[in-house]
Amino acid sequence: MRETSSRSMIVQHFVAEGTIVLVLVAWWVASRNLPAYVLPGPVAVAQSMARFVTDSEVAFNALVSFARVAASVVIAMTLALGVAAAVRAAPILNATVERRILIFLNSFPSVGWAILGVVWFKISTPTVLFIQTAIILPFCIINALAGFRQIDPDLNELGLSLTRSPLRRFFKVTLPLVAPFLMAGIRVAYGICWKIALVSELFGASSGLGYLLMRAQSTSDAAMVFACCLVIVVIYTLTDYLLLKPLAARFSINQGQET
Amino acid sequence: MTDARSEALPQKPRAWSKGTVLAHLFTVGFIAAWWGYSQIIPAYQLPGPWLVAERIVSFLSDSDELAQLALSLAHVSIAIAAAFVFGCLLAALAHYVPPLRLLIDGRLTPFLNAFSAIGWLFLAMLWFGLDSFTVIFAVTLILIPFTIINVRTGLQELDGELIELGRSLSRSPFRTATKIVIPLLVPYLFAALRNSFGVSWKVVLTAELFGGSGGVGFLLNIARQQFDTETIFAIITFILIFVVFAEFVLFRPIQRQLDRSFGRA
Repeated sequence: MRETSSRSMIVQHFVAEGTIVLVLVAWWVASRNLPAYVLPGPVAVAQSMARFVTDSEVAFNALVSFARVAASVVIAMTLALGVAAAVRAAPILNATVERRILIFLNSFPSVGWAILGVVWFKISTPTVLFIQTAIILPFCIINALAGFRQIDPDLNELGLSLTRSPLRRFFKVTLPLVAPFLMAGIRVAYGICWKIALVSELFGASSGLGYLLMRAQSTSDAAMVFACCLVIVVIYTLTDYLLLKPLAARFSINQGQET
Repeated sequence: MTDARSEALPQKPRAWSKGTVLAHLFTVGFIAAWWGYSQIIPAYQLPGPWLVAERIVSFLSDSDELAQLALSLAHVSIAIAAAFVFGCLLAALAHYVPPLRLLIDGRLTPFLNAFSAIGWLFLAMLWFGLDSFTVIFAVTLILIPFTIINVRTGLQELDGELIELGRSLSRSPFRTATKIVIPLLVPYLFAALRNSFGVSWKVVLTAELFGGSGGVGFLLNIARQQFDTETIFAIITFILIFVVFAEFVLFRPIQRQLDRSFGRA
Protein backbone atom coordinates (compact mmCIF):
# COMPACT_ATOMS: atom_id res chain seq x y z
CA MET A 1 0.00 0.00 0.00
CA ARG A 2 1.12 3.47 -0.73
CA GLU A 3 1.50 5.72 2.26
CA THR A 4 -1.63 7.66 3.05
CA SER A 5 -0.96 11.29 3.66
CA SER A 6 -3.15 13.10 6.13
CA ARG A 7 -4.72 15.10 3.34
CA SER A 8 -5.91 12.09 1.44
CA MET A 9 -7.25 10.69 4.72
CA ILE A 10 -9.31 13.85 5.18
CA VAL A 11 -10.70 13.47 1.67
CA GLN A 12 -11.52 9.82 2.34
CA HIS A 13 -13.30 10.68 5.58
CA PHE A 14 -15.19 13.45 3.83
CA VAL A 15 -16.38 11.08 1.11
CA ALA A 16 -17.18 8.24 3.51
CA GLU A 17 -19.05 10.25 6.11
CA GLY A 18 -20.63 12.47 3.47
CA THR A 19 -22.07 9.45 1.70
CA ILE A 20 -23.54 8.13 4.93
CA VAL A 21 -25.23 11.47 5.58
CA LEU A 22 -26.51 11.55 2.00
CA VAL A 23 -27.92 8.05 2.32
CA LEU A 24 -29.66 8.97 5.57
CA VAL A 25 -31.15 12.09 3.98
CA ALA A 26 -32.25 10.15 0.90
CA TRP A 27 -33.81 7.53 3.17
CA TRP A 28 -35.65 10.21 5.11
CA VAL A 29 -36.95 11.87 1.94
CA ALA A 30 -37.97 8.57 0.34
CA SER A 31 -39.72 7.40 3.48
CA ARG A 32 -41.96 10.46 3.44
CA ASN A 33 -43.41 9.45 0.09
CA LEU A 34 -43.74 5.76 0.83
CA PRO A 35 -46.08 3.95 3.21
CA ALA A 36 -44.52 3.05 6.56
CA TYR A 37 -44.91 -0.68 5.98
CA VAL A 38 -42.62 -0.44 2.95
CA LEU A 39 -40.03 2.06 4.08
CA PRO A 40 -40.23 3.40 7.62
CA GLY A 41 -38.33 6.64 8.19
CA PRO A 42 -35.00 6.79 10.02
CA VAL A 43 -36.71 8.28 13.07
CA ALA A 44 -39.23 5.45 13.36
CA VAL A 45 -36.46 2.89 12.97
CA ALA A 46 -34.34 4.65 15.57
CA GLN A 47 -37.30 4.56 17.94
CA SER A 48 -37.67 0.83 17.35
CA MET A 49 -33.95 0.38 17.93
CA ALA A 50 -34.26 2.28 21.17
CA ARG A 51 -36.67 -0.40 22.33
CA PHE A 52 -33.69 -2.76 22.45
CA VAL A 53 -32.48 -0.67 25.36
CA THR A 54 -35.72 0.44 26.98
CA ASP A 55 -38.04 -2.51 26.45
CA SER A 56 -36.85 -5.42 28.55
CA GLU A 57 -38.70 -8.04 26.52
CA VAL A 58 -37.07 -6.90 23.27
CA ALA A 59 -33.67 -6.58 24.92
CA PHE A 60 -34.04 -10.07 26.33
CA ASN A 61 -34.55 -11.47 22.83
CA ALA A 62 -31.36 -9.83 21.60
CA LEU A 63 -29.42 -11.16 24.58
CA VAL A 64 -30.78 -14.66 24.03
CA SER A 65 -29.61 -14.59 20.42
CA PHE A 66 -26.19 -13.38 21.44
CA ALA A 67 -25.83 -16.08 24.08
CA ARG A 68 -26.89 -18.76 21.61
CA VAL A 69 -24.44 -17.56 18.96
CA ALA A 70 -21.59 -17.45 21.47
CA ALA A 71 -22.42 -20.91 22.79
CA SER A 72 -22.66 -22.38 19.28
CA VAL A 73 -19.29 -20.93 18.30
CA VAL A 74 -17.67 -22.41 21.41
CA ILE A 75 -19.27 -25.82 20.86
CA ALA A 76 -18.40 -25.90 17.16
CA MET A 77 -14.80 -24.81 17.72
CA THR A 78 -14.30 -27.38 20.47
CA LEU A 79 -15.64 -30.12 18.22
CA ALA A 80 -13.47 -28.91 15.35
CA LEU A 81 -10.41 -28.85 17.58
CA GLY A 82 -11.14 -32.43 18.60
CA VAL A 83 -11.53 -33.52 14.99
CA ALA A 84 -8.34 -31.76 13.90
CA ALA A 85 -6.37 -33.18 16.83
CA ALA A 86 -7.65 -36.66 15.98
CA VAL A 87 -6.53 -36.22 12.38
CA ARG A 88 -3.11 -35.12 13.57
CA ALA A 89 -2.81 -38.07 15.91
CA ALA A 90 -4.00 -40.53 13.26
CA PRO A 91 -3.27 -39.17 9.77
CA ILE A 92 -5.15 -42.09 8.27
CA LEU A 93 -8.35 -40.25 9.23
CA ASN A 94 -7.43 -37.35 6.98
CA ALA A 95 -9.28 -38.59 3.91
CA THR A 96 -12.38 -39.42 5.93
CA VAL A 97 -12.50 -36.02 7.56
CA GLU A 98 -11.61 -33.96 4.53
CA ARG A 99 -13.35 -35.88 1.79
CA ARG A 100 -16.38 -37.12 3.64
CA ILE A 101 -17.29 -35.25 6.82
CA LEU A 102 -16.15 -31.82 5.69
CA ILE A 103 -17.73 -32.05 2.28
CA PHE A 104 -20.94 -33.37 3.76
CA LEU A 105 -21.19 -30.58 6.31
CA ASN A 106 -20.08 -27.95 3.85
CA SER A 107 -22.64 -28.89 1.22
CA PHE A 108 -25.56 -29.32 3.59
CA PRO A 109 -28.08 -26.52 3.03
CA SER A 110 -28.51 -24.53 6.23
CA VAL A 111 -32.27 -24.51 6.04
CA GLY A 112 -32.10 -28.30 5.89
CA TRP A 113 -30.54 -28.39 9.35
CA ALA A 114 -33.17 -25.96 10.54
CA ILE A 115 -36.07 -28.09 9.30
CA LEU A 116 -34.55 -31.37 10.44
CA GLY A 117 -33.65 -29.91 13.82
CA VAL A 118 -37.28 -29.04 14.41
CA VAL A 119 -38.50 -32.41 13.08
CA TRP A 120 -36.10 -34.32 15.33
CA PHE A 121 -36.12 -32.20 18.45
CA LYS A 122 -38.73 -29.91 19.78
CA ILE A 123 -38.72 -26.15 19.51
CA SER A 124 -36.17 -25.25 22.15
CA THR A 125 -32.80 -23.64 22.78
CA PRO A 126 -30.85 -26.92 22.37
CA THR A 127 -32.46 -27.27 18.93
CA VAL A 128 -31.22 -23.81 18.00
CA LEU A 129 -27.74 -24.67 19.27
CA PHE A 130 -27.77 -27.90 17.27
CA ILE A 131 -28.76 -26.09 14.07
CA GLN A 132 -26.24 -23.27 14.51
CA THR A 133 -23.42 -25.64 15.43
CA ALA A 134 -24.14 -27.84 12.42
CA ILE A 135 -24.06 -24.82 10.11
CA ILE A 136 -20.80 -23.31 11.37
CA LEU A 137 -18.95 -26.55 12.09
CA PRO A 138 -17.39 -26.92 8.61
CA PHE A 139 -15.88 -23.43 8.83
CA CYS A 140 -14.36 -24.29 12.20
CA ILE A 141 -13.00 -27.62 10.97
CA ILE A 142 -11.38 -26.04 7.90
CA ASN A 143 -9.50 -23.55 10.06
CA ALA A 144 -8.57 -26.03 12.76
CA LEU A 145 -7.18 -28.44 10.16
CA ALA A 146 -5.23 -25.66 8.50
CA GLY A 147 -3.84 -24.62 11.87
CA PHE A 148 -2.63 -28.10 12.76
CA ARG A 149 -1.15 -28.55 9.32
CA GLN A 150 0.93 -25.39 9.61
CA ILE A 151 2.63 -26.49 12.80
CA ASP A 152 6.35 -26.44 12.30
CA PRO A 153 7.57 -30.03 12.79
CA ASP A 154 10.77 -28.68 14.35
CA LEU A 155 8.83 -26.86 17.04
CA ASN A 156 6.83 -29.96 17.68
CA GLU A 157 10.04 -31.92 18.11
CA LEU A 158 11.34 -29.28 20.45
CA GLY A 159 8.18 -29.74 22.50
CA LEU A 160 8.75 -33.50 22.53
CA SER A 161 12.26 -33.04 23.84
CA LEU A 162 11.09 -30.67 26.57
CA THR A 163 8.25 -32.62 28.07
CA ARG A 164 6.75 -36.08 27.90
CA SER A 165 3.28 -35.01 28.92
CA PRO A 166 1.02 -34.81 25.85
CA LEU A 167 -1.37 -32.53 27.71
CA ARG A 168 1.39 -30.06 28.51
CA ARG A 169 2.62 -30.21 24.96
CA PHE A 170 -0.89 -29.53 23.71
CA PHE A 171 -1.38 -26.46 25.87
CA LYS A 172 2.17 -25.08 25.67
CA VAL A 173 3.13 -25.84 22.10
CA THR A 174 0.22 -26.93 19.94
CA LEU A 175 -2.48 -24.57 21.10
CA PRO A 176 -0.38 -21.37 20.84
CA LEU A 177 0.74 -22.46 17.38
CA VAL A 178 -2.79 -23.08 16.09
CA ALA A 179 -4.25 -20.10 17.95
CA PRO A 180 -4.07 -17.71 14.96
CA PHE A 181 -6.02 -20.17 12.85
CA LEU A 182 -8.50 -20.83 15.62
CA MET A 183 -9.08 -17.11 16.03
CA ALA A 184 -9.58 -16.73 12.29
CA GLY A 185 -11.99 -19.64 12.39
CA ILE A 186 -13.87 -18.19 15.33
CA ARG A 187 -14.25 -14.87 13.55
CA VAL A 188 -15.60 -16.51 10.41
CA ALA A 189 -17.89 -18.83 12.35
CA TYR A 190 -19.16 -15.99 14.50
CA GLY A 191 -20.01 -13.98 11.41
CA ILE A 192 -21.71 -16.91 9.66
CA CYS A 193 -23.64 -17.61 12.81
CA TRP A 194 -25.15 -14.13 12.91
CA LYS A 195 -25.66 -13.93 9.19
CA ILE A 196 -26.88 -17.35 8.17
CA ALA A 197 -27.39 -19.52 11.21
CA LEU A 198 -29.94 -17.11 12.64
CA VAL A 199 -32.37 -18.97 10.41
CA SER A 200 -32.50 -21.48 13.25
CA GLU A 201 -34.49 -19.00 15.29
CA LEU A 202 -37.08 -18.63 12.56
CA PHE A 203 -38.01 -22.28 12.97
CA GLY A 204 -36.70 -23.60 16.21
CA ALA A 205 -37.27 -20.92 18.79
CA SER A 206 -39.89 -18.85 20.51
CA SER A 207 -37.35 -16.20 21.50
CA GLY A 208 -34.37 -14.42 20.01
CA LEU A 209 -33.84 -11.93 17.20
CA GLY A 210 -34.98 -14.38 14.53
CA TYR A 211 -38.23 -14.84 16.37
CA LEU A 212 -38.55 -11.07 16.75
CA LEU A 213 -37.98 -10.60 13.02
CA MET A 214 -40.60 -13.22 12.23
CA ARG A 215 -43.11 -11.56 14.53
CA ALA A 216 -42.43 -8.10 13.12
CA GLN A 217 -42.83 -9.45 9.60
CA SER A 218 -46.20 -11.06 10.34
CA THR A 219 -47.52 -7.87 11.92
CA SER A 220 -46.10 -5.72 9.07
CA ASP A 221 -44.03 -3.79 11.61
CA ALA A 222 -41.44 -2.69 9.05
CA ALA A 223 -39.72 -0.37 11.52
CA MET A 224 -39.03 -3.34 13.76
CA VAL A 225 -37.72 -5.43 10.84
CA PHE A 226 -35.29 -2.60 10.03
CA ALA A 227 -34.38 -2.22 13.67
CA CYS A 228 -33.63 -5.94 14.06
CA CYS A 229 -31.38 -5.88 10.99
CA LEU A 230 -29.49 -2.85 12.25
CA VAL A 231 -29.21 -4.22 15.77
CA ILE A 232 -27.59 -7.34 14.34
CA VAL A 233 -25.14 -5.13 12.44
CA VAL A 234 -24.39 -3.18 15.63
CA ILE A 235 -23.92 -6.26 17.82
CA TYR A 236 -21.75 -8.02 15.27
CA THR A 237 -19.62 -4.96 14.53
CA LEU A 238 -19.11 -4.06 18.18
CA THR A 239 -18.16 -7.57 19.27
CA ASP A 240 -15.91 -8.06 16.26
CA TYR A 241 -14.06 -4.79 16.77
CA LEU A 242 -13.88 -4.84 20.53
CA LEU A 243 -13.31 -8.52 21.14
CA LEU A 244 -12.47 -10.75 18.19
CA LYS A 245 -10.24 -8.44 16.17
CA PRO A 246 -7.99 -7.53 19.14
CA LEU A 247 -7.81 -11.20 20.08
CA ALA A 248 -6.92 -12.20 16.53
CA ALA A 249 -4.26 -9.50 16.39
CA ARG A 250 -2.87 -10.57 19.76
CA PHE A 251 -2.55 -14.19 18.80
CA SER A 252 -1.10 -13.55 15.38
CA ILE A 253 1.93 -11.88 16.98
CA ASN A 254 3.15 -15.26 18.16
CA GLN A 255 3.48 -16.52 14.65
CA GLY A 256 3.48 -15.55 11.03
CA GLN A 257 5.21 -12.20 11.49
CA GLU A 258 8.07 -11.83 9.13
CA THR A 259 11.25 -10.82 10.84
CA MET B 1 -3.80 -33.22 -18.45
CA THR B 2 -1.72 -33.41 -21.52
CA ASP B 3 1.19 -31.33 -20.42
CA ALA B 4 4.36 -32.75 -18.99
CA ARG B 5 3.50 -31.60 -15.52
CA SER B 6 1.03 -34.40 -15.01
CA GLU B 7 3.90 -36.56 -13.89
CA ALA B 8 4.23 -34.30 -10.87
CA LEU B 9 0.84 -35.46 -9.58
CA PRO B 10 1.46 -37.91 -6.80
CA GLN B 11 -2.24 -38.59 -6.10
CA LYS B 12 -3.00 -40.96 -8.94
CA PRO B 13 -0.97 -44.06 -8.05
CA ARG B 14 -2.00 -43.82 -4.39
CA ALA B 15 -5.69 -43.68 -5.23
CA TRP B 16 -6.55 -46.55 -2.89
CA SER B 17 -4.38 -45.77 0.08
CA LYS B 18 -5.46 -46.86 3.54
CA GLY B 19 -6.96 -43.47 4.20
CA THR B 20 -9.15 -43.71 1.12
CA VAL B 21 -10.29 -47.17 2.09
CA LEU B 22 -11.21 -45.81 5.50
CA ALA B 23 -13.11 -42.95 3.86
CA HIS B 24 -15.11 -45.38 1.74
CA LEU B 25 -15.76 -47.56 4.76
CA PHE B 26 -16.97 -44.45 6.54
CA THR B 27 -19.46 -43.75 3.74
CA VAL B 28 -20.74 -47.30 3.84
CA GLY B 29 -20.91 -47.25 7.62
CA PHE B 30 -22.77 -43.96 7.56
CA ILE B 31 -25.42 -45.24 5.17
CA ALA B 32 -25.70 -48.50 7.13
CA ALA B 33 -26.17 -46.56 10.36
CA TRP B 34 -28.78 -44.39 8.68
CA TRP B 35 -30.59 -47.51 7.45
CA GLY B 36 -30.35 -49.22 10.82
CA TYR B 37 -31.59 -46.22 12.71
CA SER B 38 -34.45 -45.66 10.27
CA GLN B 39 -35.69 -49.16 11.08
CA ILE B 40 -36.41 -48.23 14.69
CA ILE B 41 -37.53 -44.64 14.11
CA PRO B 42 -40.85 -43.69 12.50
CA ALA B 43 -40.48 -42.71 8.86
CA TYR B 44 -41.79 -39.20 9.38
CA GLN B 45 -38.74 -38.52 11.56
CA LEU B 46 -36.11 -40.40 9.59
CA PRO B 47 -36.98 -42.09 6.31
CA GLY B 48 -34.53 -44.80 5.26
CA PRO B 49 -31.98 -44.37 2.45
CA TRP B 50 -34.07 -46.52 0.12
CA LEU B 51 -37.21 -44.41 0.50
CA VAL B 52 -35.18 -41.25 -0.03
CA ALA B 53 -33.51 -42.68 -3.13
CA GLU B 54 -36.91 -43.59 -4.54
CA ARG B 55 -38.15 -40.09 -3.84
CA ILE B 56 -35.12 -38.57 -5.60
CA VAL B 57 -35.83 -40.68 -8.67
CA SER B 58 -39.48 -39.67 -8.70
CA PHE B 59 -38.37 -36.09 -8.14
CA LEU B 60 -36.12 -36.22 -11.18
CA SER B 61 -38.77 -37.78 -13.39
CA ASP B 62 -41.41 -35.21 -12.51
CA SER B 63 -41.15 -32.35 -14.98
CA ASP B 64 -42.91 -29.96 -12.60
CA GLU B 65 -40.41 -30.52 -9.84
CA LEU B 66 -37.52 -30.42 -12.27
CA ALA B 67 -38.74 -27.00 -13.36
CA GLN B 68 -38.53 -25.84 -9.73
CA LEU B 69 -34.98 -27.15 -9.58
CA ALA B 70 -34.11 -25.23 -12.74
CA LEU B 71 -35.63 -22.14 -11.16
CA SER B 72 -33.42 -22.51 -8.08
CA LEU B 73 -30.41 -22.96 -10.31
CA ALA B 74 -31.36 -19.78 -12.16
CA HIS B 75 -31.70 -17.89 -8.85
CA VAL B 76 -28.26 -19.04 -7.76
CA SER B 77 -26.57 -18.31 -11.09
CA ILE B 78 -28.02 -14.83 -11.43
CA ALA B 79 -27.18 -13.97 -7.83
CA ILE B 80 -23.59 -15.21 -8.16
CA ALA B 81 -23.10 -13.30 -11.42
CA ALA B 82 -24.61 -10.10 -10.01
CA ALA B 83 -22.59 -10.34 -6.79
CA PHE B 84 -19.43 -11.01 -8.77
CA VAL B 85 -19.92 -7.96 -10.96
CA PHE B 86 -20.81 -5.62 -8.09
CA GLY B 87 -18.15 -7.07 -5.80
CA CYS B 88 -15.37 -6.72 -8.37
CA LEU B 89 -16.52 -3.23 -9.23
CA LEU B 90 -16.51 -2.10 -5.61
CA ALA B 91 -13.16 -3.73 -4.88
CA ALA B 92 -11.61 -2.14 -7.96
CA LEU B 93 -13.05 1.26 -7.01
CA ALA B 94 -11.59 0.95 -3.53
CA HIS B 95 -8.21 0.06 -4.97
CA TYR B 96 -7.94 2.55 -7.80
CA VAL B 97 -9.96 5.52 -6.53
CA PRO B 98 -8.31 6.44 -3.21
CA PRO B 99 -10.97 8.96 -2.09
CA LEU B 100 -13.54 6.13 -2.10
CA ARG B 101 -11.29 3.75 -0.18
CA LEU B 102 -12.52 4.48 3.32
CA LEU B 103 -16.13 4.54 2.17
CA ILE B 104 -15.87 1.06 0.65
CA ASP B 105 -13.32 -0.61 2.92
CA GLY B 106 -14.23 1.09 6.14
CA ARG B 107 -17.97 1.64 5.86
CA LEU B 108 -19.74 -0.27 3.12
CA THR B 109 -17.98 -3.65 3.31
CA PRO B 110 -18.17 -3.98 7.11
CA PHE B 111 -21.82 -2.96 6.94
CA LEU B 112 -22.69 -5.49 4.24
CA ASN B 113 -20.55 -8.06 5.98
CA ALA B 114 -22.39 -7.59 9.25
CA PHE B 115 -25.84 -7.57 7.70
CA SER B 116 -27.79 -10.71 8.32
CA ALA B 117 -28.98 -12.86 5.42
CA ILE B 118 -32.34 -13.11 7.07
CA GLY B 119 -32.42 -9.35 7.40
CA TRP B 120 -32.00 -8.87 3.65
CA LEU B 121 -34.57 -11.53 3.04
CA PHE B 122 -37.21 -9.95 5.24
CA LEU B 123 -36.51 -6.48 3.85
CA ALA B 124 -36.77 -7.82 0.31
CA MET B 125 -40.07 -9.44 1.22
CA LEU B 126 -41.36 -6.08 2.43
CA TRP B 127 -40.18 -4.30 -0.67
CA PHE B 128 -40.77 -6.74 -3.52
CA GLY B 129 -43.27 -9.26 -2.21
CA LEU B 130 -42.86 -12.98 -2.67
CA ASP B 131 -41.16 -13.64 -5.98
CA SER B 132 -37.93 -14.52 -7.69
CA PHE B 133 -36.58 -11.00 -7.48
CA THR B 134 -36.77 -11.13 -3.69
CA VAL B 135 -34.76 -14.34 -3.67
CA ILE B 136 -32.13 -13.04 -6.07
CA PHE B 137 -31.87 -9.71 -4.25
CA ALA B 138 -31.36 -11.35 -0.87
CA VAL B 139 -28.79 -13.87 -2.10
CA THR B 140 -26.88 -11.26 -4.10
CA LEU B 141 -26.55 -8.93 -1.14
CA ILE B 142 -25.26 -11.74 1.03
CA LEU B 143 -22.65 -12.70 -1.55
CA ILE B 144 -21.36 -9.20 -2.32
CA PRO B 145 -19.20 -8.78 0.83
CA PHE B 146 -17.58 -12.20 0.27
CA THR B 147 -16.67 -11.16 -3.27
CA ILE B 148 -15.40 -7.72 -2.23
CA ILE B 149 -13.20 -9.20 0.49
CA ASN B 150 -11.71 -11.85 -1.80
CA VAL B 151 -10.99 -9.51 -4.68
CA ARG B 152 -9.75 -6.79 -2.35
CA THR B 153 -7.29 -9.21 -0.76
CA GLY B 154 -6.10 -10.17 -4.20
CA LEU B 155 -5.58 -6.54 -5.18
CA GLN B 156 -3.69 -5.82 -1.97
CA GLU B 157 -1.42 -8.81 -2.34
CA LEU B 158 -0.54 -7.95 -5.91
CA ASP B 159 3.18 -8.08 -6.20
CA GLY B 160 4.31 -4.48 -6.35
CA GLU B 161 7.45 -5.36 -8.24
CA LEU B 162 5.55 -7.19 -10.92
CA ILE B 163 3.26 -4.20 -11.37
CA GLU B 164 6.31 -1.98 -11.66
CA LEU B 165 7.80 -4.35 -14.17
CA GLY B 166 4.55 -4.10 -16.11
CA ARG B 167 4.69 -0.35 -15.99
CA SER B 168 8.21 -0.35 -17.29
CA LEU B 169 7.20 -2.65 -20.14
CA SER B 170 4.09 -0.86 -21.22
CA ARG B 171 2.57 2.54 -20.61
CA SER B 172 -0.95 1.47 -21.40
CA PRO B 173 -2.92 0.84 -18.22
CA PHE B 174 -5.25 -1.40 -20.19
CA ARG B 175 -2.36 -3.62 -21.19
CA THR B 176 -0.98 -3.84 -17.66
CA ALA B 177 -4.48 -4.68 -16.47
CA THR B 178 -5.14 -7.48 -18.93
CA LYS B 179 -1.59 -8.85 -19.04
CA ILE B 180 -0.57 -8.60 -15.38
CA VAL B 181 -3.25 -7.53 -12.91
CA ILE B 182 -6.10 -9.78 -14.05
CA PRO B 183 -3.96 -12.91 -14.52
CA LEU B 184 -2.49 -12.37 -11.04
CA LEU B 185 -6.00 -11.94 -9.66
CA VAL B 186 -7.37 -15.11 -11.20
CA PRO B 187 -6.86 -17.28 -8.08
CA TYR B 188 -8.69 -14.69 -5.98
CA LEU B 189 -11.49 -14.26 -8.48
CA PHE B 190 -11.86 -18.00 -8.59
CA ALA B 191 -11.87 -18.20 -4.80
CA ALA B 192 -14.60 -15.56 -4.78
CA LEU B 193 -16.72 -17.57 -7.19
CA ARG B 194 -16.13 -20.82 -5.36
CA ASN B 195 -16.99 -19.20 -2.06
CA SER B 196 -20.11 -17.62 -3.56
CA PHE B 197 -21.26 -20.94 -4.94
CA GLY B 198 -21.00 -22.59 -1.55
CA VAL B 199 -22.68 -19.80 0.36
CA SER B 200 -25.41 -19.27 -2.23
CA TRP B 201 -26.65 -22.85 -1.97
CA LYS B 202 -26.70 -22.53 1.77
CA VAL B 203 -28.83 -19.43 1.59
CA VAL B 204 -30.97 -19.77 -1.50
CA LEU B 205 -33.22 -22.45 -0.01
CA THR B 206 -33.90 -20.23 3.00
CA ALA B 207 -34.70 -17.34 0.72
CA GLU B 208 -37.03 -19.43 -1.43
CA LEU B 209 -38.66 -21.00 1.60
CA PHE B 210 -39.68 -17.66 3.08
CA GLY B 211 -39.68 -15.21 0.24
CA GLY B 212 -40.08 -17.21 -2.93
CA SER B 213 -42.97 -18.30 -5.07
CA GLY B 214 -41.00 -21.12 -6.65
CA GLY B 215 -37.82 -23.12 -6.50
CA VAL B 216 -36.64 -26.02 -4.42
CA GLY B 217 -36.94 -24.03 -1.19
CA PHE B 218 -40.60 -23.47 -1.97
CA LEU B 219 -41.08 -27.24 -2.39
CA LEU B 220 -39.24 -27.69 0.90
CA ASN B 221 -41.74 -25.42 2.60
CA ILE B 222 -44.72 -27.38 1.25
CA ALA B 223 -43.11 -30.64 2.32
CA ARG B 224 -42.44 -29.18 5.75
CA GLN B 225 -46.05 -28.16 6.22
CA GLN B 226 -47.25 -31.61 5.18
CA PHE B 227 -44.67 -33.39 7.37
CA ASP B 228 -43.44 -35.01 4.17
CA THR B 229 -40.02 -35.90 5.56
CA GLU B 230 -39.19 -38.10 2.58
CA THR B 231 -39.35 -35.12 0.27
CA ILE B 232 -37.35 -33.00 2.71
CA PHE B 233 -34.63 -35.65 2.82
CA ALA B 234 -34.77 -36.15 -0.92
CA ILE B 235 -34.28 -32.43 -1.56
CA ILE B 236 -31.47 -32.10 0.96
CA THR B 237 -29.72 -35.22 -0.37
CA PHE B 238 -30.12 -34.03 -3.91
CA ILE B 239 -28.64 -30.61 -3.11
CA LEU B 240 -25.78 -32.31 -1.28
CA ILE B 241 -25.01 -34.52 -4.26
CA PHE B 242 -25.31 -31.61 -6.64
CA VAL B 243 -22.96 -29.35 -4.66
CA VAL B 244 -20.42 -32.13 -4.14
CA PHE B 245 -20.61 -32.98 -7.83
CA ALA B 246 -19.99 -29.36 -8.81
CA GLU B 247 -17.11 -29.24 -6.35
CA PHE B 248 -15.41 -32.32 -7.78
CA VAL B 249 -16.19 -31.88 -11.44
CA LEU B 250 -15.84 -28.13 -11.70
CA PHE B 251 -14.04 -26.42 -8.83
CA ARG B 252 -11.41 -28.96 -7.76
CA PRO B 253 -9.90 -29.50 -11.23
CA ILE B 254 -9.77 -25.75 -11.84
CA GLN B 255 -8.23 -25.18 -8.41
CA ARG B 256 -5.60 -27.82 -9.11
CA GLN B 257 -4.83 -26.18 -12.42
CA LEU B 258 -4.53 -22.80 -10.71
CA ASP B 259 -2.34 -24.19 -7.93
CA ARG B 260 -0.05 -25.66 -10.54
CA SER B 261 0.26 -22.51 -12.60
CA PHE B 262 0.47 -20.11 -9.66
CA GLY B 263 2.15 -22.18 -6.98
CA ARG B 264 5.43 -22.61 -8.79
CA ALA B 265 6.40 -18.97 -8.91
